[in-house]
Amino acid sequence: MIFQKPSKQNVEVEEIYTEETIQETEDNIDTVVGPSVNVEGDFSSEGNIIVKGTVTGSVHTSRVLSVEPGAKIIANVRAGSALIAGEVRGNMKIKDSLELSATARILGDIEVKTLSVEPGAVVFGKITMPGIEGVEVKSGRRSRKTEEVAGSQNEEYLG
Amino acid sequence: MYVYLYDSFLEQRKYTSIIKAIENRLTDYGISGKILRLNNFIDAKPIIDDEIRRGAKNIVIVGNDKTFGLVLSRGAGSDCVFGFLPIGTENNTVAPVLGIPINEEGVEVLAKRKKEKMDIGLVNNRFFVSQLHVMASKVQVIYDRKFKVTAVDKMEVVVCNFQPFYWKKDKKDKEIQVVHPQDGKLEAFLRPLTKSGWFGYKYEEPSIFPFEEMEIIGENAFLVETDGRQTKEISLKLKLAKSKIEMIVGKNRMF
Repeated sequence: MIFQKPSKQNVEVEEIYTEETIQETEDNIDTVVGPSVNVEGDFSSEGNIIVKGTVTGSVHTSRVLSVEPGAKIIANVRAGSALIAGEVRGNMKIKDSLELSATARILGDIEVKTLSVEPGAVVFGKITMPGIEGVEVKSGRRSRKTEEVAGSQNEEYLG
Repeated sequence: MYVYLYDSFLEQRKYTSIIKAIENRLTDYGISGKILRLNNFIDAKPIIDDEIRRGAKNIVIVGNDKTFGLVLSRGAGSDCVFGFLPIGTENNTVAPVLGIPINEEGVEVLAKRKKEKMDIGLVNNRFFVSQLHVMASKVQVIYDRKFKVTAVDKMEVVVCNFQPFYWKKDKKDKEIQVVHPQDGKLEAFLRPLTKSGWFGYKYEEPSIFPFEEMEIIGENAFLVETDGRQTKEISLKLKLAKSKIEMIVGKNRMF
């Protein structure tokens, strides 16, 4: 009995297909643009993007875009969220959060939900945040009223 | 029915005891079968087709990374299940990715028959399974027909499928990237070379791009190593062929 052969039944138990894993998933590996590499064109990825070199054209990712110090993006950017420490020349549309560190330089409009800016970051462009739209209208009305009041006061003075 | 394809290097005396132990274990598990010996000049494709016609359902590659590449680059797409028994500690980087232990312990994985369908790469309409290596030369890379990647000087390109890519950040450091053969994409590692001093060149930090389709165009003909075979090409078209191989893998696989 000690030297008995293992029966085939015992051995061939785990004949399993794991086809669930074949389904397409998001990229686990980050896309990295190295420091002395130039990327030109419609640059898009399903995973995170880390830019250390230069990108021209357009950049799109549904996840995190990270631009390292010294990196340069001359393109319109669309991303889930972004961490910028380099230079971006183009409009940025960020779905979730945008973090600008002290070395960041942005030349373009920004559309973002949450924004955090470290002292020293440079931004030249219009910043739009969706949560503030309603207040903007009210403040506009108020300013018109105050303008009207101020105008009538001026007229009184002039009169 | 099992067919075992032995690499020619296994005829060396130092492997005799390992082979004997493996054959004993295969007999114990009741999965022993026909043994065929390969050499560098034998094309695996007609052998596999012939054995399938004779009723073989399982083709087991016995050898190392080179054997794995040589057999699967020709045999991929065949109507059978592939197994792998890695032998010896040298040149066996694919086995840990597939979760198969080296030498006679690999028989247990083979006996358990946990099957997975895997993606492989297509280069100029030929299969490649482990790794494609473009030696440093002036090339540009076009990804998924969308964007182009260039470097100032020469660039080395490594495309990984089953084999991990190893590189050093500096002489002391060793960072290991593990490839995920079933994530639906191939991974390309680009390392530009920059001049350092009068004659020397220095490797830059690598860029990593997961992709489904890629084209490498050279200024001049460049040297390519695919699954251990070297050729000279002027352009390469790489694609991902999904679920082309059905393979027996271990529980500890890295994907």
